[in-house]
Amino acid sequence: MTQPTDKAVTDSAEGLMPLAHDRLNAQPFPLSVSVAIFWLSFMCFVAVVGPSLMPYAFTAIDLKARLSLPFTSLHWLGTDELGRDVFSRLVISIRISLLVSFVATIISATFGTLLGFLAAHYRGWVEQTVLILADFQASIPFLIFALAVLAFFGNTLTLFILLMGIYGWERYARIARGLAIAANSQGYAAAVRQLGASPIRIYLGHILPNTASTLIVSMTLVFPEIILLESGLSFLGLGVQPPMTSLGNMVGYGREYLTRAPWILLAPATTIVLTTLSVSILGDWLRDRLDPTLK
Amino acid sequence: MIRFIISRVVRAALTIFFVMTFSFIVLRLSGDPALIIMSPDAPPEAIIAFRKAWGLDDPIWLQYFHYFGAVLQGELGRSMRDGRSALVIVGERIPATLLLMVPALMLKVGIGIPAGVYAALHRNSRIDRLVMSFAVFGFTVPSFVLALVLVLVFSVGLGWLPTSGADSWRHAILPVITLGIGGAAVLARFTRSAMLEILGQPYIRTASAKGLKWSAVVRGHALPNAAIPTITVLGFMVGSLLAGAVVVESVFAWPGVGRLLVVCVSNRDLSVVQVILLLVASTMVCANFLVDLAYGLFDPRIRQAPRGAGQ
Repeated sequence: MTQPTDKAVTDSAEGLMPLAHDRLNAQPFPLSVSVAIFWLSFMCFVAVVGPSLMPYAFTAIDLKARLSLPFTSLHWLGTDELGRDVFSRLVISIRISLLVSFVATIISATFGTLLGFLAAHYRGWVEQTVLILADFQASIPFLIFALAVLAFFGNTLTLFILLMGIYGWERYARIARGLAIAANSQGYAAAVRQLGASPIRIYLGHILPNTASTLIVSMTLVFPEIILLESGLSFLGLGVQPPMTSLGNMVGYGREYLTRAPWILLAPATTIVLTTLSVSILGDWLRDRLDPTLK
Repeated sequence: MIRFIISRVVRAALTIFFVMTFSFIVLRLSGDPALIIMSPDAPPEAIIAFRKAWGLDDPIWLQYFHYFGAVLQGELGRSMRDGRSALVIVGERIPATLLLMVPALMLKVGIGIPAGVYAALHRNSRIDRLVMSFAVFGFTVPSFVLALVLVLVFSVGLGWLPTSGADSWRHAILPVITLGIGGAAVLARFTRSAMLEILGQPYIRTASAKGLKWSAVVRGHALPNAAIPTITVLGFMVGSLLAGAVVVESVFAWPGVGRLLVVCVSNRDLSVVQVILLLVASTMVCANFLVDLAYGLFDPRIRQAPRGAGQ
């Protein structure tokens, strides 16, 4: 299955970037993008300093205050079925969900780009192998693949993050390969090669910076999908395991109390939606500015 | 055209081969099947006998070979929970899943494609913006959140529809809507951008410059060309018919393949998981194969392209 982005990327690699960069500086932020950036900064702030803001430990059980209503002075967002403070749990969940998604996005981008560059450098059977593996990965719904791996190997947080880190590698690999092949035929790569630079230096020092904008845009497109995947698996009870909690986890366990205490799941559900929405808005905007051909 | 078909068949076979190898490797890596199936305190002689009976003391390449033979003959093992054939267990669940997925697919296509085409033809109009906002929401709201909101509104709040189960057709309404809305949004977004790209092409300008009516330009030139990328997404949706409802089936306690998968993953019932994996991959590969054939029909350039150019 050939993705339509493949060809578009190769076409756009020449000469577009400096121009796009000027446009980025010239235009002011639209309101939706400003709001998205604000929300994401707020989420990162919560994830980093959150634990010191928490009124309770996120595992602290208070059986006398089970399912208490939100918007009270004791519990801003109410408590869950064991009397644990929903606000405190939300803070930890944001931290864990963002951690998993960030690390996974970085793993997948690094791994995919590396394979794409290797394919572009060696061509021949290396390239064919990478392309066949990319086809294989794209041909199985990732959720099924992830569930199979979790069934076979059991679940730990490290394994889970590594598994999420596989998601989307094939897209980076295809894009990086296309960009590197285009870059190799351009003057600057040939010039540094003639000067005797090692392949590692050419790829990391010259080709990577020149292709970074497209790869970063791809990262913003994959990132919300990883958040959704993580929360989906955790919702099913097969992702982040208790006593640790994540946004999907909170929704999954809160589902049992949907009628009696909807606030348990509404807070994390809203957080998931606002966060993925913000990253998508930001990603779309970046894509339009940096690389209009990448869709 | 024959060469084109052969290259696609080889590619499809290769993908299936990869999936089978993958499931063989993880099955073997995940521990000694003898110890998993039999209780840990079984007598050593029984374990040795079990290993011999299942060929587990053969060299690994021979096991791999036997495994392929068994899979090709449809012997996919037995459930570790109740000893029934894994294939039968999965097979029983397929009708229920299709009962959700087929109407949902019709909903996706029926809403998504017309909305996307309309939005592209009326770019920057109010309806375009409406369609796009709907598409972004459909894209970013996880299916379990959408499902729970629908339950909260229509079952808990208004009391019109049951919250979960599979006793009557009314139980299918909310899951089908949940699946349909998300998919329609993806399809609308994709169709719109495919249409916009085609509408910007020089041959569209040529066609309208030579005096064709706009409706004829759209029908004769824009739609067939925009169909090609849209078919890819559609192929993926058809390919995931069997397993695309994992989350939604779980929310609504719908007794389909997806729910079976989740239960078997929690129980670590490996043979059933493996059957589902193989089944889903085969459906996906078949769908991709059909998509490639459809490409060839729609776009003569693809079937005539020299080898390797399609990548």
